[in-house]
Amino acid sequence: MTANLIWMLTGIAITAPWFAAVLLIVRRRAARIIGVTASLVSVAASVLLLLTAPSGESLGESLMVLYSCLTMASTLMLPKRDCDAPTMAGVLFMLGATLAAYSTDNLAVFLAGWILTMVPFLIKPWFRVPSWRPVAALSLSSLALALAIGFIWASGHSLSIEALKDLSPGGGAAFGLLTAAVILRKGICPAQAWIADLAEGGSGIPTSLLLNGHFGALLVARLILPLFPRTASNLFPALSWFAMATALYVAIRALTENSPRRLLSFLALSQSAVILAGLESRTAEGITGALVHWFVVTVSTAGLFGILRLLEVRFGENLTASRYFGLAAHAPRLAVSFCVFGLALVGLPGTLSFCSQDLLIHGTLMSHPVTGVVLPVATAMNAVSIFRLFARLFLGKRRTGFTHMADALPRERWTLAAGILFVVLGGIFPNLIVGQRSAEADAVAKGMARQGFSDAARLLPGDLVENPADHLR
Amino acid sequence: LWTLATTHASAITVTFGSWFAVHEYRFPLVLVADRLSLPFLAMTVVLSGLIGQFSATYLHRESGFFRFFLLLHLFAFGSLLAFAAGSFDLLIAGWELVGITSVLLIAFFDRRPAPVENGLHVFGIYRACDIGLLLGVFALHNWAGSASFAGGMPHLPATEATVVCLFFLLAAAGKGAQIPFSGWLPRAMEGPTPSSAIFYGAISIHAGAYLLLRAQPLLAEAPVASIAVIATGLATAVYGTMAGRASADVKTSLAFASLAQVGVIFVEIGFGWKSIAVAHVLGHALVRTLQFLRAPSMLHDYRRMRSAMGGEISRGPTEHLLPDGVRLWLYRWAFDRGHLDTILDRWFIHPLYEISRLFTKMDGIGTAGRAARGTDPAISLPGLAEREAK
Repeated sequence: MTANLIWMLTGIAITAPWFAAVLLIVRRRAARIIGVTASLVSVAASVLLLLTAPSGESLGESLMVLYSCLTMASTLMLPKRDCDAPTMAGVLFMLGATLAAYSTDNLAVFLAGWILTMVPFLIKPWFRVPSWRPVAALSLSSLALALAIGFIWASGHSLSIEALKDLSPGGGAAFGLLTAAVILRKGICPAQAWIADLAEGGSGIPTSLLLNGHFGALLVARLILPLFPRTASNLFPALSWFAMATALYVAIRALTENSPRRLLSFLALSQSAVILAGLESRTAEGITGALVHWFVVTVSTAGLFGILRLLEVRFGENLTASRYFGLAAHAPRLAVSFCVFGLALVGLPGTLSFCSQDLLIHGTLMSHPVTGVVLPVATAMNAVSIFRLFARLFLGKRRTGFTHMADALPRERWTLAAGILFVVLGGIFPNLIVGQRSAEADAVAKGMARQGFSDAARLLPGDLVENPADHLR
Repeated sequence: LWTLATTHASAITVTFGSWFAVHEYRFPLVLVADRLSLPFLAMTVVLSGLIGQFSATYLHRESGFFRFFLLLHLFAFGSLLAFAAGSFDLLIAGWELVGITSVLLIAFFDRRPAPVENGLHVFGIYRACDIGLLLGVFALHNWAGSASFAGGMPHLPATEATVVCLFFLLAAAGKGAQIPFSGWLPRAMEGPTPSSAIFYGAISIHAGAYLLLRAQPLLAEAPVASIAVIATGLATAVYGTMAGRASADVKTSLAFASLAQVGVIFVEIGFGWKSIAVAHVLGHALVRTLQFLRAPSMLHDYRRMRSAMGGEISRGPTEHLLPDGVRLWLYRWAFDRGHLDTILDRWFIHPLYEISRLFTKMDGIGTAGRAARGTDPAISLPGLAEREAK
């Protein structure tokens, strides 16, 4: 496929949702139809891009497919109450910005995408929350990234990511600022509290879309590891340690949390924090595990947040994990979907996260053996928390204070079924997903093996490194 | 069986390739049929079939009839996978499936809060103890480079073997309801009787014993771990005998009787009497399943037996040999099930919640007060279930 066609497809994937967002702001009608159509166009363009991408260099395209599918599912799942023009416009605006960040090779565009994804959370008509912490964390992370890119530009480098590889542009200052941006955006300890605030006060489904953009992990995979291999080999393990501490911290924190939204945000954060350790593991298994985990955490948490929002709309927003609601009697399909997504999030065998966690643990045996201890402990606590939430929301005495509560509607049912199929079939036949992530992991690992990460030459298969001795000199 | 008998091979290994692979790393789908796995597989197949047949009548027109059979089949699959696995990695997959189906069946009667709360409690204990299995397998990979036992158990030095075996003992004690985790077993009796029979009379309760039998070559290298296994089994056998005698309902009595027998099986494994342990597992599973299935008809059986014997069925005089004060103290201790739940709550669960509440305060989120007031004993029965019942 020619470069022009790739440019055109990328442009369509990004601009279609933006155009639809503008249309919605102007016309304020048929929000769901416009939203689904625009995200469908993005899905189609992203899939075509993925099909044409060379093997091993398709991380951006895979993420584009994942995120555009996620947005399309969200537009279908949005309850009628939330499906107004401003909300849908905000969701589509985020989709375009996220795809721009995923697809670009230019630091300035990456920064623009980074900032634009959080704009809906800073503006009142969209998803602004009353708490100051999300606004502060998102703004500071953007500032840190902007300063880092400023340092890189000021040191006389171009802004092309490909051209900057291995150059450590901007030196320690740029590296430090990028790391700060990751900590703030990903919610790594001690900056974890804003995620819960956002989940609690924000709009449920758009919040899950923001969190599932995983911009912190993206920054690590796309910028920090390829651009700063030597600095990262010395200093980055500290970030991995913080990430694992976060996984444990929020898992313990979730044990006594009663707000379903906050609880889900803690579980999502805990399960996704280990992605950083996997990315930094310098092994093909670890990086593959991290990428697969990225996919499965995204789908599972999006499903859980979506179901929770549907329950809030149907039952009321006074749901809590401190008493039984018995909603399974009214909404059995939602109950089963919640159970499957919850178990998929915490690594039940037969779901994709079992494979990703196995790969993560084995991949980090040498670089981060503590992952093998932290991950099972954090996952065990998360499993108790998610089962507690499931039990309290769906089990117990049937509520009789209302006459009827709708179960999943057809559009919600089929969307949830697609997500369940992904996590379950992906778990039973994981080779397709693992194989593709493995090729992308090779590319990430290869970049790390070029310089600095001398261990990578030893840990990776020989075909990834042309002459391992060169890297050990 | 035929191949094993005719070729005099010690094991047949069936390889289905890899579940998933990344370069050299492969998750092997290897099944093993040997003199250990075959009896367990046969037991699972026979008892699952029997329980399925029994349940079709027993749970007829019960709400959740199909859910029961879905979970029963998933459980049978998980058990078969765990017993036929050729590596500890694959065994974990089956082990976890057995755990989750067990919990969902305990919470089968989900309209009442008590079964759900008990299911949550059991899930918490299972997950906590499964950490032992995961860490053991992780340690095996770290030290031996493989967790496969299809071609023989990896050899480890004594210290490493001890650590791995102690991790496995934690997992086995959790699944087998050994001390100090025995408190969950009576709670698990909330599920339908057929599921109690197959889980806690036959298969699930013996999964821990299977794990230790599988790790027997490592146990033989680790005398400290063997002593720990014997001590755990012995303590549980005594505890199960006494707590069972103080139980008022038949299913709980049978559960404690199971516990005592599994404790004895652990002792046999600790001493290295592998064949005796396997025979004991099979005999115990079959008899106990029958007893559980007959439990709903116990009064009828008792009357018939009393008629046949021509009067009251006398109890053994063992208890009367003890002084009254000691007997009363022992009764109180056994009646409260050895205070095991209280000890676990006070020493492990409560401190963990306190840490969690401290984190809540540190986060400074508005609901710190609500969480800190202790409204949420996640895996503790008293409190929430009782409030809901009221």
